[in-house]
Amino acid sequence: MSRFEIYSPEGLRVDGRRWNEIRRFECRINSHPTSSDGSSYVEQGNTKVLCLVQGPMEPALRSQSSTAQGSLIVNVSVTPFATVERNKRPRNDRRIQELSATLTRTFNKAIVLKNYPRSLIQVNLQVLALDGGLLAACTNATTLALMDAGISMYDYISSVTAGIFDGQTPLLDLNTIEENELGFLTVGVIGESEKLALLLMEDRVGMDSLEKVLAIAIAGSHRIRELMDIQVRNYGKHKVAKLANQ
Amino acid sequence: MEGAVAKRKVLSSGLTVSQKVFVRSRNGNASKIVREHYLRDDIPCFSQACTQCSELYQSDNGTVISAVLSESPSSLQSSNIGRHYVLLDTNVVLGAIDLLESDSVFFDVVIPQTVLNEVRNKSLPIYTRLRALCKSDDKRIAVFHNEFSSSTFVSRRSAETINDYNDRLIRTTASFYSDHLKSTGIKMIYITNDKNNLELALAESLDAMSLEAYIGLLPNSQELLDLLPTLRTDFSRSGTKLKFPDYYSTSRLLGGIKNGTLYQGIINISSYNSLEGSISVSSLPKPLLILGSENLNRSFSGDTVVIEMLPRDKWKKPSNDIVDEETLGSSENADNDDPESVISDRERRLLTQEAVKAQTSGNDDDRVFPTGKVVGISKRSWRSYVGQISARSVDKTQSSNATRSVFVILMDRSLPKVRIRTGRAKDLVGKRIVVSVDSWPANMSHPEGHYVRTLGDVEDKDAEQEALLLEHDVEYRPFSKNVLECLPKEGHDWKVPEDLNNGDPQLAKRKDLRHKLICSIDPPGCVDIDDALHAEKLPNGNFEVGVHIADVSHFVKANTAIDQEGASRGTSVYLVDKRIDMLPMLLGTDLCSLKPYVDRFAFSVLWELDQDANIVNVSFTKSIIKSREAFAYEQAQNRIDDESQKDDLTKGMRYLLALSKKLKQKRMDAGALNLSSPEVKVHMDSETSDPGEVEIKKLLDTNSLVEEFMLLANISVARKIFDAFPQVAMLRRHASPPQANFEQLNEMLRVRKNMAVSLESSKALADSLDRCVDPNDAYFNTLIRIMATRCMMSAEYFASGNYSYNDFRHYGLAVDIYTHFTSPIRRYCDVVAHRQLAAAINYEPLSIIHRDKTKMDLVVKNINKRHRNAQFAGRASIEYYVGQVMKNAESLEEGYVIKVFSNGFVVLVPKFGVESLIKLNTLTQSGAAKFDEENFKLTFTTEAGEEREIAVFDRIKVQVKSVLDEMTSKRKTQLVLV
Repeated sequence: MSRFEIYSPEGLRVDGRRWNEIRRFECRINSHPTSSDGSSYVEQGNTKVLCLVQGPMEPALRSQSSTAQGSLIVNVSVTPFATVERNKRPRNDRRIQELSATLTRTFNKAIVLKNYPRSLIQVNLQVLALDGGLLAACTNATTLALMDAGISMYDYISSVTAGIFDGQTPLLDLNTIEENELGFLTVGVIGESEKLALLLMEDRVGMDSLEKVLAIAIAGSHRIRELMDIQVRNYGKHKVAKLANQ
Repeated sequence: MEGAVAKRKVLSSGLTVSQKVFVRSRNGNASKIVREHYLRDDIPCFSQACTQCSELYQSDNGTVISAVLSESPSSLQSSNIGRHYVLLDTNVVLGAIDLLESDSVFFDVVIPQTVLNEVRNKSLPIYTRLRALCKSDDKRIAVFHNEFSSSTFVSRRSAETINDYNDRLIRTTASFYSDHLKSTGIKMIYITNDKNNLELALAESLDAMSLEAYIGLLPNSQELLDLLPTLRTDFSRSGTKLKFPDYYSTSRLLGGIKNGTLYQGIINISSYNSLEGSISVSSLPKPLLILGSENLNRSFSGDTVVIEMLPRDKWKKPSNDIVDEETLGSSENADNDDPESVISDRERRLLTQEAVKAQTSGNDDDRVFPTGKVVGISKRSWRSYVGQISARSVDKTQSSNATRSVFVILMDRSLPKVRIRTGRAKDLVGKRIVVSVDSWPANMSHPEGHYVRTLGDVEDKDAEQEALLLEHDVEYRPFSKNVLECLPKEGHDWKVPEDLNNGDPQLAKRKDLRHKLICSIDPPGCVDIDDALHAEKLPNGNFEVGVHIADVSHFVKANTAIDQEGASRGTSVYLVDKRIDMLPMLLGTDLCSLKPYVDRFAFSVLWELDQDANIVNVSFTKSIIKSREAFAYEQAQNRIDDESQKDDLTKGMRYLLALSKKLKQKRMDAGALNLSSPEVKVHMDSETSDPGEVEIKKLLDTNSLVEEFMLLANISVARKIFDAFPQVAMLRRHASPPQANFEQLNEMLRVRKNMAVSLESSKALADSLDRCVDPNDAYFNTLIRIMATRCMMSAEYFASGNYSYNDFRHYGLAVDIYTHFTSPIRRYCDVVAHRQLAAAINYEPLSIIHRDKTKMDLVVKNINKRHRNAQFAGRASIEYYVGQVMKNAESLEEGYVIKVFSNGFVVLVPKFGVESLIKLNTLTQSGAAKFDEENFKLTFTTEAGEEREIAVFDRIKVQVKSVLDEMTSKRKTQLVLV
């Protein structure tokens, strides 16, 4: 049995949320204007991710250039101080590699790559703190940074995790403790639609409960899209005002 | 641990978030943990009288919360308090959970989340009991999540200890309730047993009192006071002499375990010698010994303890003595107070290497055993214990009903006496009572506990039976309402649907096997028939054989209340005259039971076997069957033997018998073991239901007929589910016995009989056991088999992901993979196997609880424990009845010496399957005896003055009688040497 009451009979989770509540979501766009073409900073609860986008630019290697469409590279690095136990991960950590591959695949379809032939778009993600929902936070940060870089995309990709407790209750936006206890999946939703650009499930969620979990995950993603959208529009207004002043 | 200032941030939806920061030390490392903590305003107070919270009760995704605390709670007339709710502190819940469960006190209780978490961290069983209480409607207990409510959460101050902080959280909750309920006129009484906390609460002008004071105000306080836990009154260190050394501090323990100077493990105290414990340590090949009460340092058998190794000069041989609590003098271990030499960490580690050397060296001369001492207890294994008051500790002359301390002797001989305080000591003498242990302070020679309830008179049949069930942790209460609600509504009228195409897709997948000539063969009087068989000859000369197992998983769906109950019971328990069912009677003896002449759902395994009983192919299907006849073993045997019977059913049975013999031969050739245990059966007088006589179980051919096909079914199913679920298949393994287990037996055989058993393979063991024959003594071979059985590892359930394929082996049956599939009515493993098999043949999807590895591990751990307990309970029940039989009949029997100590020896009497110790001091007055350890021989002079020699394997005459053990009030057989 777990050390914690993951979901109490009174309907509260370990950190005091109810089943359908996302964690504190905060994001900033254009956080590092000088060091990149596009940047963003996302906090989903205690998971903190920084994203810097370079490009579109000329690829350094010939092999990276294609005449038909642009190419995308995603690098993820988890800082040694991100987890409770301080540990340095090798660059070729399997999980990290898989994470970047997943992100690359997702955004290959989300970016209008045919607009950028013979160019390279490089996304660098720094994970500053880790408390569950890593892929989700990375996806959201990448969406925002790509927008900041002015790269054409079809729509927002907003992402969140959802798990199932005891095969009965779906729980939205899990933290580390919950992730360790439950089967969960990560979804990335395209804009306000119910289409998925990303669906990752690393352990089991029962067939009978999948629908419930997906439904709450999609609803949660929509909420995150709203929060990101507010931020993007605020920033846009601010930028326009600045330009007008000039 | 250190608190940090938490900043709060207001979120949009009435939520505030703050950070919980604390430092945790695990494995001796300090690590900083940051967790989010959301505070909310929508947590209701759960009082029906309150009007402010009414809109906060709403159904939230299936969890319905409603006000549980009564509008008009009970009131205390005797004081000025009146109508009130109570709020309990952690120490009250932990100590007085029995009181909380009693239905005469504690209604309308608020349990703050802080308390719940503290209880959970201290004791999971008590947490589970508390949670169960919260669920029941009549107790009206509410859990208030004070740490998540913005009105009751307070941040931790810097340099505030976690205990003080928790106490402050609870007090804040109490004061919140007092204010919140002011308009309703209901008071909140805060009950705590912590003196400091009580003072602080009173200073904050809360209505606070100690548990004793509260109980004192109740009208029925007299009966309730006995149930109170003993309070640990603070004692001054200088005043009382410490009986035991203090435990090390937690940080020292954690650090020591990490750097390898201390070890952690589960202590096991010998049932022959209550002063000798042993503990398995991963870095040593053999268990470490812990000798003497001072070194055992208040540990109970089964506790998880931390030990330190003793210096080399204190290493000893394991004692060859028998020590009971009764023979213990008060002055034992007086020589242990030499000033402790200081040993550095480095030396301690060297000591470990030496210990490994000492344990592995084969040299007999310096065979010393490393010893250790307990320096800390990580986890107590305390539960409720059954015992009776020691008559000696009760002062009979005193007539008043004043509360006094008395000793309770527990039935488990490896446990110490427990001191309880009761006002009814005189009434309780001669009764079996349940006590629970509260604490064992260092200045007490015995642990302290309190009285829970009375089972009945000692030796009363029902009381003894209940005691036995309690002692083995068998759940025997009737099934709860939730469980019974899961049964089919039709009850006994449930029938297999007439129309098989009624649109139920699962029914359509069932195969109709009602035309097959199926019969069941079971022990006489069997009502829960879970298996049936059939066989017929195929045109190609092969045989079609079917084993049909009751389809329990059709009625018991995963994750329902009935399933959870079954999972927690794990197995049915068979006592001599009583059966404790795993599943409700309706299923076990009717709907699932493959009764003759009616249609039943079954899960069938169908083979095509060739003439030599090799499997040509196998298939699995859910089916509908109609058993033609339910035979008892003997009936079936007679029918097969009766040559005049020429019908197809009898023919089928003859095929089965012939095939089963071939199967058995194949199994034996592969090296299956034929082990023995002294199993006996107690005959009951049908009218008085008094035990009549004892008989060793007989085996017929038909017994082994059924057994062989069940084994075959289990093996086939095991292969199939392992194939489908390589990680979580429910299997059963039997590890090969380690050499060390057989060392002593082999040594005895070599010295006394010049024989040996080989351990190279199960085949070699089987063969060498066959060779252990004494031409003058037919029973000798069985005796060796009994003793070999005890050296074996016990078989265990496991989820396939936990072992590699090579370790799946079932040593005793000599098969590479095995599971239990054939008795789902009485074993939970089989239910799981059924579900996994059903999923493997695409009958229905497998529930997540059987696909999740961690969940499976929990299930497996539990059923292993239940299985063991059930076996022990069954044996103890037989032992009790054998004792009852002996009461009326003393006799002279033959017995065998199976173990020799320096002051006694153990004798097994095959006729009754009993074994007992004969102590030397009952045989000789002087007590002087020569113990020849190498030859397992004891020489002494009897009272009559003649010299006698007793050695292992000797056949001796003993007088068997039954005596009431004065200490434990257990009737046990006593053997007297003649």
